[in-house]
Amino acid sequence: MSVLVTGATGFLGRRLVRLLREDGVDVCCLVRPSSDVEPLRRTVGNDLWNGVDVRAAELSNEEACREAMTGCSVVYHVAAGLGGSTSTLFLSSVVPTRTVMRAAADANLQRFVLVSSLGVYGTSTMRAGDLLDEQSPIDPYPHLRDPYTYSKVMQERAAREVSKETGLPLVIVRPGVIIGPGRGVLSARVGLQLGPLMVRMGGTQTLPYTYVDNCASAIRQAGLADGVEGEVFNLIDDDLPTAKGLLRMCKCAGEKVTSVWVPRQLIQPMAGTYDWYHRWSRGQLPGVLTPYRTASIWKPLRYTNQKAKDRLRWQPDVSFDEAFRRSLNGVEADHLGNRGRI
Amino acid sequence: MSSRTPNLRIALIGCGQIADAHLQEIRKIDCAELVAVCDVHQDLADQAAARFGVPRADSDLSAMLAEAKPDVVHVTTPAHTHCELATRLLVSGVHVYVEKPLTVDFSEAESLLETVTRTGKSLCLGHDQLFDPIWLRCRELVDAGVIGEVSHVESVLGYPLSGQFGRQVTGNPDHWVRRLPGGLFQNTISHPLYRITEYMQDTQPRVDAHWYAAGTATFPTEMVAHLRGKTVTGSLFFSTRIQPQRISRVYGPKGGLEVDFDAQTIRVIRQSRLPGAFGKIEMPWRHWREGASNLRHNLWRFLKSDIHYFAGMRTLFELYYRSILDGSSPPIAYDEMLRVTRVMDTMFRHCRVRTGAKRLAALSGASPRLSDRKANSQSEVDDLDEVISETEQVS
Repeated sequence: MSVLVTGATGFLGRRLVRLLREDGVDVCCLVRPSSDVEPLRRTVGNDLWNGVDVRAAELSNEEACREAMTGCSVVYHVAAGLGGSTSTLFLSSVVPTRTVMRAAADANLQRFVLVSSLGVYGTSTMRAGDLLDEQSPIDPYPHLRDPYTYSKVMQERAAREVSKETGLPLVIVRPGVIIGPGRGVLSARVGLQLGPLMVRMGGTQTLPYTYVDNCASAIRQAGLADGVEGEVFNLIDDDLPTAKGLLRMCKCAGEKVTSVWVPRQLIQPMAGTYDWYHRWSRGQLPGVLTPYRTASIWKPLRYTNQKAKDRLRWQPDVSFDEAFRRSLNGVEADHLGNRGRI
Repeated sequence: MSSRTPNLRIALIGCGQIADAHLQEIRKIDCAELVAVCDVHQDLADQAAARFGVPRADSDLSAMLAEAKPDVVHVTTPAHTHCELATRLLVSGVHVYVEKPLTVDFSEAESLLETVTRTGKSLCLGHDQLFDPIWLRCRELVDAGVIGEVSHVESVLGYPLSGQFGRQVTGNPDHWVRRLPGGLFQNTISHPLYRITEYMQDTQPRVDAHWYAAGTATFPTEMVAHLRGKTVTGSLFFSTRIQPQRISRVYGPKGGLEVDFDAQTIRVIRQSRLPGAFGKIEMPWRHWREGASNLRHNLWRFLKSDIHYFAGMRTLFELYYRSILDGSSPPIAYDEMLRVTRVMDTMFRHCRVRTGAKRLAALSGASPRLSDRKANSQSEVDDLDEVISETEQVS
């Protein structure tokens, strides 16, 4: 069996390639001409490198994509922009998704796995304590969110459109915040990082995190498990910490974190005031803090990964404590460590 | 009778990064009404329309023109498409605002301005930093004679490639910026250059320019240029190895003015009036007072919510729209557009030929002298001679 992986040299992609090779799957990696392939080679290891075929092409090149897909049965579309302006993110995520999917449809592939984000849900309308699962609604006003989330919502929409047009079977996975060695553990879900200061927003909210190796193993299954075409899976780990708990873990582990706390009741009034000033001053300060965004990101919700466990036969094998330790120490996972087989 | 200012219907084509700035500033102008955005990728047009409340998003320019019926179209597409798109728009009967650079070369610029004359429509070019509040303040000081007649202007642009746009350009050998005749510089050098040419009115100043690739870069990333006009000289330094910065220094016989666009500050460069060691006390004292004055000024502007990165752009838009409504000349003169484009052409040609001469000299084992006739390619040497004679004629 052969599969194609986009974004294979990235943080998540290279671990996915390794897992696929461990399963004996041949992998064609579509990488940018300027990408450094060495980290991928190191992650995969010399023993498994034989089954890896690296092709350099821009994802906007439909012909090159189609050519690379010859003989493949599944595409894992991991490549996506992570930062920058909205238009930059659209150009690196939404537009290429259409191109790669059309190429996949032309090549008659059996399945297209899109790596989306847990951020796409319209959590602003949910109530504190609600359960967020795959049935929760997608954000109806994604342009009011941050550029990354907006691009992921529209990337999914584009993928669904092409899937409907072409009949290409689509599986969507929505990982939470991916942590791992070199990435640290403090994210925007905890609060605002203002220089050296972490402004903790609330604190009782559960952090929807997933460790990179756990996430990669679930994504692998999304391409290989039977009968999951057309399905969506939320990917988060078990035993997730709260924002307050995570900061405490960091401090106990000897991390120098300076934080101040904004109580949950003050977040919305604060965001409202900031947003008013942003509009009154005609943008003298950037409109990064709005009531809509704060209601979407710092709300205490409950999360479930049951569907992924059941349908993908997946288990997040690296516990959160171990994930925390590895992420904080910057220790690259040894790829065999304590991860069991799925 | 209503005294309300008539609205101009504004559309934009090319919904990339700089389009955000355009749409944000156009929305602040009373006489402007955003009616449509257009991009070759419908997704990009849609996101711009959604975020800036524009009623129409198209991927087909003809449909956008027919349906939205704009009076003015802003062109914020890649540089190599400016001439063709702007020509098409002018011919279709709309006024056009083009982001810098105007075109990829002088012949395209001439052809575009002929179309302006033929169609009777007006054209504006995005030389917006000429209308930045800090540059306007500098101009006031120059006009007041604080430094005397301007004799030299220096411009520095720090442009690290670690930024999002820089990373795209570096990461993709086929990026459109890499294919421009002036490469990375063509897309970015207009701003520091027109700050020099504002005070150097020569049509063809003598140019001596050099570019090179820094570190591991595979394309030219650094440029140094010297310009010599009849009464004013200029120097331009572009680097990807220094922090982001936009600084100009304007010198005259009575002193100089250092203008920092990012800090929005002006510093007067002047000799101490006190002798010897006393001067070493007076100068820091003067710098301290200037710092306090800049701080007061910016604090006051902050309180008035008057500090905006694209303030110059908004002023330029307003002046351009006003000129359309009044039937007066647009704020950036057509001669100025041609002049800057011609100087850029000369700079890039000079750089290319110098690089070629150096390469040829290396191949033939000789020093890269301009008169080196051992070069294998006679055409490149001829090209270099042409540049030299061109600049010598002017001087």
